[in-house]
Amino acid sequence: MVAAYLLLAPAAIMVLGVLAYPVGWEAWISLTNLSPQLDGPPRFVGLRNYVELATNPIYRFWPAAAATAAFVAVTSLAKLVLGVGLALLLQRQFRGRALVVLAAFLPWVYPASVAVIGWYWTLNPPLITSYSLLAANLKQAVDGVFGAGAYAFASVALFNIWRGAAFTGVFVLAGVNAIPADLFDFARLECPSRWRRFWLVTVPLLKPFLALAVFLSLTTGVADLANVWMLTGGRIVFPVIGTEAYWLAVKAGQFGRASALSLTLVPPLGLVLWALFRMFDPSEERLG
Amino acid sequence: MAQVVLKDLNKKYDEVHAVKDVNLNVLDKEFIVLVGPSGCGKSTTLRMIAGLEEISAGEIHIGNRVVNDLPPKDRDIAMVFQNYALYPHMTVYDNMAFGLKMRKFPKAEIQKRVQDAAEILGIQELLKRKPRQLSGGQRQRVAVGRAIVRHPQVFLFDEPLSNLDAKLRVQMRVELKRLHDRLETTAIYVTHDQVEAMTLGDRVVVMKDGWIQQVGEPLELYGRPRNRFVAGFIGSPAMNFMDTTISDGGSALWIECQGLRLKVPADRSARLAGKKGQPVVLGIRPEDLHPATGADPADLICEAVIDVVEPLGSEILLDVKVGNNVIVTRVDPSVRVKQHDKIRLAFNPERIHFFDTKTEESLL
Repeated sequence: MVAAYLLLAPAAIMVLGVLAYPVGWEAWISLTNLSPQLDGPPRFVGLRNYVELATNPIYRFWPAAAATAAFVAVTSLAKLVLGVGLALLLQRQFRGRALVVLAAFLPWVYPASVAVIGWYWTLNPPLITSYSLLAANLKQAVDGVFGAGAYAFASVALFNIWRGAAFTGVFVLAGVNAIPADLFDFARLECPSRWRRFWLVTVPLLKPFLALAVFLSLTTGVADLANVWMLTGGRIVFPVIGTEAYWLAVKAGQFGRASALSLTLVPPLGLVLWALFRMFDPSEERLG
Repeated sequence: MAQVVLKDLNKKYDEVHAVKDVNLNVLDKEFIVLVGPSGCGKSTTLRMIAGLEEISAGEIHIGNRVVNDLPPKDRDIAMVFQNYALYPHMTVYDNMAFGLKMRKFPKAEIQKRVQDAAEILGIQELLKRKPRQLSGGQRQRVAVGRAIVRHPQVFLFDEPLSNLDAKLRVQMRVELKRLHDRLETTAIYVTHDQVEAMTLGDRVVVMKDGWIQQVGEPLELYGRPRNRFVAGFIGSPAMNFMDTTISDGGSALWIECQGLRLKVPADRSARLAGKKGQPVVLGIRPEDLHPATGADPADLICEAVIDVVEPLGSEILLDVKVGNNVIVTRVDPSVRVKQHDKIRLAFNPERIHFFDTKTEESLL
């Protein structure tokens, strides 16, 4: 009995110490006014931080939440569509396939910091050339049509899609390869339409992989603070919950309120992930 | 009416020539089995008939149509796969109805066909289940049922029993045979198992390295193999082969190798006359050797030492040494012998095979 708990200890310490404790602590301080600018111990303030965020426009909570939701939805959908297309193309046998797979995967394995600088300079040329004019005009045009901030949104989303689609593609390819070829062969024998084959056979067979791909895409999308940060040069031209919380905590010193802000992500994300988890966990189907 | 004709069929991949000049005439209602070791081109041939592989050269006729350029779904064939290829997200009923739904059959017709097939296969109770709730044998039945509902002109089977355990395989084999007798549909069946080939096929096609080696009825292949490969592939335990030399003994020819000197039966002499002094391969099946009795002529007997005794119940297999050769003989279970015993074995003269050493062609 003792041995069992001893053997369990490393995992338990890991989960409790690295996950449960920080999250619990964050939940606690979100209910206080903890800030290095205040003297004395933090004071319990109840849900005031949350109420403030929701009601005081100075915190830009709703725009940031909307931007985050839009960002995650647009990028996840785009990555899914592009990734599945990529995977189905790469599934075919052709000369030099290994090289193409490698090339397709490159955006993902390339260090983000370097890739970001490449994108930043592409969108925001460091030298004045005729291209800078083009880039500037493009920004004007996009913002002119879709409203201010559209260009920033598009550029950040594009970067996320560019990197993420490569990952989703290779991920789904692994899924496609794990499905016995017989299942696709049978569909080819029986079903004339490629489109129907895709929806009736490929998608249902890939469902667990697609759900997991969206799962990963969502979590990385929400946590994509670093890329947004780097791509916007640290300026808040594009508020998402992550960057807003960073500003609130590190720059403004409002730890309690910043904790509350970042914790607002947990319920919606948890709900979506739970739904997705049901889709890719095969034990659910086995029971049903 | 659906005969299948393969004319000079070839399949080339980049570097591999998988199927070479295959010519085959599958008769209407015939059950034909393609058999051979892995990589012999049998599955590729089947997949070309199905339309899953492109044809590099040659023609395939199904019924009275050339189907080379027809997409798979228009070839009026139904295929059963080794891994069953059942869709895990569909019920048994939906799996069986899939092909008919895709072809837009009316609902009532689909239901009738699925019910009929389920009845034939005894799987009516399983129609609402998902494949993962079925045993291997049940899945196999569903896969067969899915082919039956289509009422195709030709059934194609790609190693359908290979994933079943030995006992179930024997049982399903019998069922498939019964099913074929009942449905009377042309069937082309691929397997690597020569027992399956022999028991199921009206005719059997033996393939190796992309070439057809021999086409014939099971007992014809067994009794008169055209070359050493077929002789060795068909039959279990396999035919024994010994490198021997033909020598001229005046009135008759003799077969010689270390530990063995046999008189060539008179009716074989003519064919072997040209081989005097040359090496040939002698082939003899395990059951065509028996412990010698007084009735056996002395010039068809050799001395052997028993190496291994394998009692199987209905028979005993003896691995014996004759000179340098180890050969297998199949004897009656009443024979009492043990390891290292000496035994005199008599050859059945009518069942001795000879093969050319170089070409490996039969010299009968």
